[in-house]
Amino acid sequence: MVTSRIDHKWGMVVDLDRCNGCQACVIACQVENNIPINDKNAFLQNRAYEWIRVERYWEGEYPNIKARFIPVMCQHCQDAPCEPVCPVFATYHNDEGLNVQIYNRCVGTRYCINNCPYQVRFFNYWHPNWPERMQNQLNPDVTVRTRGITEKCTFCIQRIRRGQLQVERRGGGELNDATLKSGNHMPACVQACPTNALTFGDQNDVHSPVQPYFEDVNRYNIHHEKERKTRGYRVLEEMNTRPNVIYLKKVDPNLDSSGGHHG
Amino acid sequence: MRPSANIIPLAVVGLVVTGIVGFLVAILFISWFSNPPFGLGNAPAQPIDFPHTVHAGSVEEGGVGISCEFCHRNVTEGAAATVPAVEQCVFCHQQINPENLMASSSADQEQMQLVVDKFNDNDPINWERVHRIPDHVRFVHEAHIRFLTEGEARTVAMPIGDGQPRQLPLTTQQACSVCHGDVAAMTEVQPTPGQSLKMGTCVDCHRELNVGTDCTICHK
Repeated sequence: MVTSRIDHKWGMVVDLDRCNGCQACVIACQVENNIPINDKNAFLQNRAYEWIRVERYWEGEYPNIKARFIPVMCQHCQDAPCEPVCPVFATYHNDEGLNVQIYNRCVGTRYCINNCPYQVRFFNYWHPNWPERMQNQLNPDVTVRTRGITEKCTFCIQRIRRGQLQVERRGGGELNDATLKSGNHMPACVQACPTNALTFGDQNDVHSPVQPYFEDVNRYNIHHEKERKTRGYRVLEEMNTRPNVIYLKKVDPNLDSSGGHHG
Repeated sequence: MRPSANIIPLAVVGLVVTGIVGFLVAILFISWFSNPPFGLGNAPAQPIDFPHTVHAGSVEEGGVGISCEFCHRNVTEGAAATVPAVEQCVFCHQQINPENLMASSSADQEQMQLVVDKFNDNDPINWERVHRIPDHVRFVHEAHIRFLTEGEARTVAMPIGDGQPRQLPLTTQQACSVCHGDVAAMTEVQPTPGQSLKMGTCVDCHRELNVGTDCTICHK
């Protein structure tokens, strides 16, 4: 990280064909990132925080009904709508392609939350609280966010940093796909996913499993979507926010053309 | 009503308001510019009078010259330097002299007895933190110690403490004293002026050495 600069550009690929909506990623994220426990009250007020959430859609009509899942986390947009509206530069793009949120700079204007088309930024309406017996389970590498600031998915920057330090400590090399995996330095959701629906990697690394998807989707934009060689697409691609998260379409042999509705 | 009747209460209110505002501004100035920050410059009272002079001080000056990382073991391994377990204190003292646990005076014997009591009760010693950084800062000791103690010989400018360029690699003890001051010469550990671990201190060094000033290196 510090002595040898390597040009990283992190990215994630979500294979919707493999996602079965088990919510393991949600729990892993909550534990890793010191996210307070959402009680019923938080959900009723639409103030629950989940840095990654699994959205559920119903497709078709009963009895031919299908559940569709899509995990949504911060898309780390390259043209992020949240960044220019922050009056104090608490959110910005760093040189590793991540959209980062600096908690001690944030003053809680919530402009970024309102400007985010993916609804993945969350405001701390309350002081975070954990039951007494869970006080010692907090992750020491992650700040406990206080009341009145905005937070969001960081692509587990603390794990990436730890990985960079470990690789450096063991004598150079670079943080690549293999070292990410062997040291468990990929984000907590990726590590927890039982079906490997989530893949994390370096877009600049030609050996990374995410690289071909990003290359394909970058080459053919939304107007040439039909020409894409892979199943890749970006959520709300027409907004042109150019996310660093790519979703792979679900392969459905019995595709129902009646469309879905949110359930 | 004559105008002069109102002058005196108005003047009193004005003086009081000016006084309060002035007081607050003075406190803000002191907290912002004082180094170490206001209220953090004094050594906190520790549960046991642990003399770093005896343990870490050099043999010529009457110490035993134990290296920093012998007790603060994790400092070369991970983020936190960690304080040693009570077992480690007792282990050494018992090995060296089982009779009086290596205490030369009755006052020392009293302090050593506190450690032994903690050991027998299976209690940790609740040391008071001296060098504190805010919760939103994640400092990694290991990377800094590695930078200062390893690699080829080189001279680097380090705008911390006296600001003199330093010859790297340093010994571990010298590396620790870059930020913590000469702890081996302190009976009570306290922050050293000019080495207050404010954000400016960190950023000055990171800029000077061109080792990355991205916010997420420390804030995450």
